[in-house]
Amino acid sequence: QFAPSNPPPPRRPVAYAEKHESDEEKQFRRVFQQLAGDDMEVSPTELMNILNKIIGKHGDLKTDGFSIESCRSMVAVMDSDSTGKLGFHEFKYLWDNIKKWQGVYKTFDEDRSGSIGPNELPKAFTAAGFRLNDQLFNMIIRRYSDESGNMDFDNYIGCLVRLDAMCRAFKTLDKDNNGTIKVNIKEWLQLTMYS
Amino acid sequence: MSGVASTLAKKRAMAAGFGTNANAVRYLNQNFEALRAQCLDNGQLFSDPMFPAAPESLGFKELGSSSYKTRGVTWKRPTELVSKPEFIVGGATRTDICQGALGDCWLLAAIASLTLNEFVMARVVPQDQSFGQNYAGIFHFQFWQFGEWVDVVIDDRLPVKDGELLFVHSAEGREFWSALLEKAYAKVNGCYEALSGGSTTEGFEDFTGGIAENFDLRQPPSNLFQVIKKALEAGALLGCSIDITSAADSEAVTRQKLVKGHAYSLTGAVEVNYRGRQEKLVRMRNPWGQVEWTGAWSDGSSEWSYVTGDCPHANAEDGEFWMSFNEFLRNYSRVEVCTLTPDTIEDDSVKHWSISKFDGTWRRGSTAGGCRNNPYTFWMNPQFVIKLDEEDDDPDDGEVGCSFVVGLIQKNRRRLRKQGEDMHTIGFAIYEFHGQRDVHLDKNFFLSHAQKARSETFINLREVSNRFKLPPGEYLIVPSTFDPHLNGDFCIRVFSEKQAETVNIDDVFLVFVSVQDLVSDQDVDSGFKNLFTKLAGPDMEISASELQTIMNKIVSKRTDIKTDGFSLDTCRVMVNLMDDSGNGKLGLGEFATLWKKVQNYLSIYKKNDSDNSGTMSTPEMRVALKDAGFSLNNTIYQQLVARYSDPDMTIDFDNFVSCLMRMELMFRIFYKLDTNSSGSIELDFQQWLTFAMI
Repeated sequence: QFAPSNPPPPRRPVAYAEKHESDEEKQFRRVFQQLAGDDMEVSPTELMNILNKIIGKHGDLKTDGFSIESCRSMVAVMDSDSTGKLGFHEFKYLWDNIKKWQGVYKTFDEDRSGSIGPNELPKAFTAAGFRLNDQLFNMIIRRYSDESGNMDFDNYIGCLVRLDAMCRAFKTLDKDNNGTIKVNIKEWLQLTMYS
Repeated sequence: MSGVASTLAKKRAMAAGFGTNANAVRYLNQNFEALRAQCLDNGQLFSDPMFPAAPESLGFKELGSSSYKTRGVTWKRPTELVSKPEFIVGGATRTDICQGALGDCWLLAAIASLTLNEFVMARVVPQDQSFGQNYAGIFHFQFWQFGEWVDVVIDDRLPVKDGELLFVHSAEGREFWSALLEKAYAKVNGCYEALSGGSTTEGFEDFTGGIAENFDLRQPPSNLFQVIKKALEAGALLGCSIDITSAADSEAVTRQKLVKGHAYSLTGAVEVNYRGRQEKLVRMRNPWGQVEWTGAWSDGSSEWSYVTGDCPHANAEDGEFWMSFNEFLRNYSRVEVCTLTPDTIEDDSVKHWSISKFDGTWRRGSTAGGCRNNPYTFWMNPQFVIKLDEEDDDPDDGEVGCSFVVGLIQKNRRRLRKQGEDMHTIGFAIYEFHGQRDVHLDKNFFLSHAQKARSETFINLREVSNRFKLPPGEYLIVPSTFDPHLNGDFCIRVFSEKQAETVNIDDVFLVFVSVQDLVSDQDVDSGFKNLFTKLAGPDMEISASELQTIMNKIVSKRTDIKTDGFSLDTCRVMVNLMDDSGNGKLGLGEFATLWKKVQNYLSIYKKNDSDNSGTMSTPEMRVALKDAGFSLNNTIYQQLVARYSDPDMTIDFDNFVSCLMRMELMFRIFYKLDTNSSGSIELDFQQWLTFAMI
């Protein structure tokens, strides 16, 4: 039903991590340091600026730009200690996924319209690792696409980041793998409000 | 990570018994048994990738790679250093621990007391390892870390300089348990250098999970003898020492053979009938096993002849001696008491203290309120209620009351040293309090009530702990950092002699009370109907994007509220909340209901914006949420602030509405699914995604 992407690696001692990075990772760490500033954490505003800068370079992606609201939501679903910011590993995970999903987006925008139409969506999401039923696809289209059912790039990314996090949340909580999770009101609010 | 879910999963695991000493959490997920078996199969010695034999494991500054102290350091296994290494020779003793080139004497003193209690020792140093059979270059140790026991795996490559161990070593040259224990402790703290400087009590606690207290003997509490006696009865570890005024004083011996700057153990306390009056005596032990006190009540001294009735054995063991309590107070400078938790004490005959422990967090903007000097934010700190029912049973000690110890520990700060962070300055205040216990008390309470007691100081140590004796009743404990707006994680523990009930106010029920004022199509007046017709267009329904246009038109006209405009996401949530028909759009009645709600939120917003800034500060927000019918706990509140506030910690109008609408939606979904009001709901994958993706 759901093929999750690899979870972020466990947190290792910084010294170890620095020593065992590939060149690509090293370069990424330098970029991260520039972006995250002194506190070494990425805030929603910082995330928005960097995402919008990047999509500005891709003329073939239709988007009205990432809103602060959707960046807040992306940070929240990734953040584990409710500081409202992302650390290096969380950000890197997000980044790798965005890169991957951008490739999927371009592949499945078959009519080159710059956005993903309602017919293209199931295929694109399946390729991204999310095989959902029609009912869920319809719900997602209602929630994330425009009135004619087209999903532009920023909504697409916002939707997938959230979907990925929620699928992983389910898996994490379904310890006995019986296909259901049980939550009390406190857990429910923690899971749904911080997202 | 999907942060929140993994935090919840961990909490559930803890509740199911993970993290106890018998079921320790594997540090960095390394499994000792499996790794050892793997090494034995491959015929290889273990090399730990997580704590490599490399400069970064030594340190970052004084022990950094460019420091002269680390020049020429190599890493060697005990088998490369001596011909027949042993893990432990003839039981663990104090002489197994000799300090190396690291300022961690505090840790070594704690390790030394550890050797005095076999049961405690066996928990930290598992017995299933040696250099004999099954040796694979891998060892493991268990430490208590802020409420849970962790099992730490290391390889046995130790830093060596000029052929000698750089750090801790044993006087018995072929014995290695202490050096390996130190390495494991360094791994947990990031590197060896992170261990430099600390207090013995920190080590005491990490080896026992107990709670440590410090008593300054220049100003001893009047009931100190009673405290010591009870602590001994409860199986606590006690240490005492004589302060030194200069380095030259260290281990200097006084005329009466007491050693300065040296850690003694305190092992007994009795009262005897001496010449017709009661005399208080304490028994001490010099861990050297020799050099004993020669004054009154020492081994074989004349005082013993005048004791009538019950009398302890006058000639105590080697290194052990008695002295009168008064003389003890005069000669010694401090006593450290580490009270053990019930699970640490093997012996059923000792009196157990009852313990409650809570984890908490301070977060900038939501729960990092700072100390009482900050009346505007102090009340936002986490709050804990303790209920003391029964008075202590100690007839000797004139004062009646309930004794308890409060310990506040800040988590993980030692590990952050590498990143240039250090301990926060922390402390707590205690208030007397009657009334509803499941309510987070607000600013007015703290402005109108004086504190009843407090931590002795605010200090930048890992733990602040103090003992109190108060009449039975209910009390509120408020832990905080000295300055507001500092992020931190803590664990607070309350130890009490008698059973006490402690409530984390954070664990209260979350409730949402609101009267949904449904407006039906018929109730709408004609003015509003006309407005709606104009807005909705020919389909007579309002979509999320139409709602966005309307909302933004309205707020842009107002100068008294700040907003950067309603996002489409927010408007979708609003439509979802109101959309009973399920078509993703709002009809006349639905829109009128929503409109009423927005008006209501606007008036709550205005009312709580007490400084008329046009935005809501986070303390104002907390009150506003209550006015809107939401009883929330700290955890949720922290998340709301992290999610909805701007970088300057204010919440503007669109975020305010967005937050409240979403929360109402989530409460309603929960109540709807929890049909039998059991307090929890069960969801399958499909249901989960349907709601979580809203």
